[in-house]
Amino acid sequence: MLTLYAPTAMVVASSWTLLAGTGLLAGLLCLDETGAVQSWLGQPLPAALLTGLLWGRPEVGLAVGFPLQMVLVGNLPVGQSFVGDPVTAAVAVTAAACRASLAGIGMPDGSLSLDVALWGWLLLGAGLLSLVGHRLVRAEREAFGLWMHEGRLSLRDGDPGRLERLHLQCVGVTFLRGAALSIVYVLLVQELWLPVFPRLGMYGHRALALLPFLLPGLGIGALIERYGCRRCWTWLVAGAGLALLSWGVLAS
Amino acid sequence: MDMLLRLRLFLRLILLQASWNSQRMQNLGLLYCLLAWLRRQGADADFRRRFFRRYYGFFNTNPYLAGFLVGGLARLETEGSEGADIPRQLLATYRDSLGRAFASLGDQLFWLGLRPALTLVACLLALMGKPMAVVGVFAVFMLFQLGLRWWSLGYGFGSGMDILGLLDHPFWHKAIWFIKRLALVAAGAVAGVFLGKFQGLGGTGGLSVFGVGIGLGMGMPLVLRRRLPGEVMLLIGMVVCGVLGFAISLTGS
Repeated sequence: MLTLYAPTAMVVASSWTLLAGTGLLAGLLCLDETGAVQSWLGQPLPAALLTGLLWGRPEVGLAVGFPLQMVLVGNLPVGQSFVGDPVTAAVAVTAAACRASLAGIGMPDGSLSLDVALWGWLLLGAGLLSLVGHRLVRAEREAFGLWMHEGRLSLRDGDPGRLERLHLQCVGVTFLRGAALSIVYVLLVQELWLPVFPRLGMYGHRALALLPFLLPGLGIGALIERYGCRRCWTWLVAGAGLALLSWGVLAS
Repeated sequence: MDMLLRLRLFLRLILLQASWNSQRMQNLGLLYCLLAWLRRQGADADFRRRFFRRYYGFFNTNPYLAGFLVGGLARLETEGSEGADIPRQLLATYRDSLGRAFASLGDQLFWLGLRPALTLVACLLALMGKPMAVVGVFAVFMLFQLGLRWWSLGYGFGSGMDILGLLDHPFWHKAIWFIKRLALVAAGAVAGVFLGKFQGLGGTGGLSVFGVGIGLGMGMPLVLRRRLPGEVMLLIGMVVCGVLGFAISLTGS
């Protein structure tokens, strides 16, 4: 059984409006990822958090965004090495969790009773959606390549307007891709992905409950490997020690 | 450079990567930026055709540092249009060599340094339950990088060919060194807070799993001889969780 959160009056009354807002947000964040500005608001954590804030449940955004951000921290999103579409995935999974009024999703603060297995199920869904989105991003870039070739006509007639139009056309396509895809993803997660969760059984739930604990470790491990192990340890241990020390001081 | 041209270049620079494609990468984006300069010239069709041919080839650089290059190219084009002898090959060499150098610096400084550092600091704030501070971190970065782009345009235009000296500056390597250490300290702090915060959620072997995650994240690239993207690591992680879940159910802990 999925435990449901008591939805706020706002979510009940304006679910479709919020869904449209989610599409708008995802479109803008997809642009931010590569096409425009690149302020990193399209990273999984801020993307999920902004979606959570839009739906009035920032704790869900943090819960989805934090482990995703951690596991993707070693990704190098440059040029050909670009992999996945974590923006729409993070936005869609957060919005779907809010729209379905799921309870037990949030960062642990001692007061909240968490459904860790459901949390893991959402993260697994986000990972899969990101990989699916990767194909679409590739296709989009192939289309940009074709339009770039179309722009060669300007090398003959000297028309600058065509080049500007083609470039801005790419901006529009990226926005529309993000907006449309995120709305489709929200509905897919809510109608197909979440209903499967109660049927996974105890063993499946036990495995999923471990995933949110594994992902931050995976990300940190990948970062250590990327930076070179021998150079890393002292700084890493210093950071951990500092955090544990301040945690102890704060706790006492 | 007058303020209006700088503003137009800046606004277009923000969209440098919008038409990124796998064949010539940012070529259309660079041309889109430089069209702001070209439109000011009121050039005839023949000049425009030659201009487009100069910049339609492969081009790729770091978007945050592209302002140096775009500003420099605008300066060289201005000098050329005012009668200075600027060979076409020189412009191509300037674009390609600077583009590559800034791409390499940008990869180290932004993608491998600042991005992990900043996102880990944001993760730390997320763990501490401060959502608005998370948004604040990225808002500060947005202002910083927009400011850098604005400043670099002016610097590139002011320097022209002399911008090559900027690449020799020890600042870059010091900044990369510092930011990567900052990322590691932040990663350690995230691990520390994570351990402190999640120990209350025992019963699932969560803390041991965190340690397994670190080992797996470090070990997978060594075993597979390639770095896997985070999404694939997540799926492999799910398989590992299945095995661990089974082991935990067997031991009954």
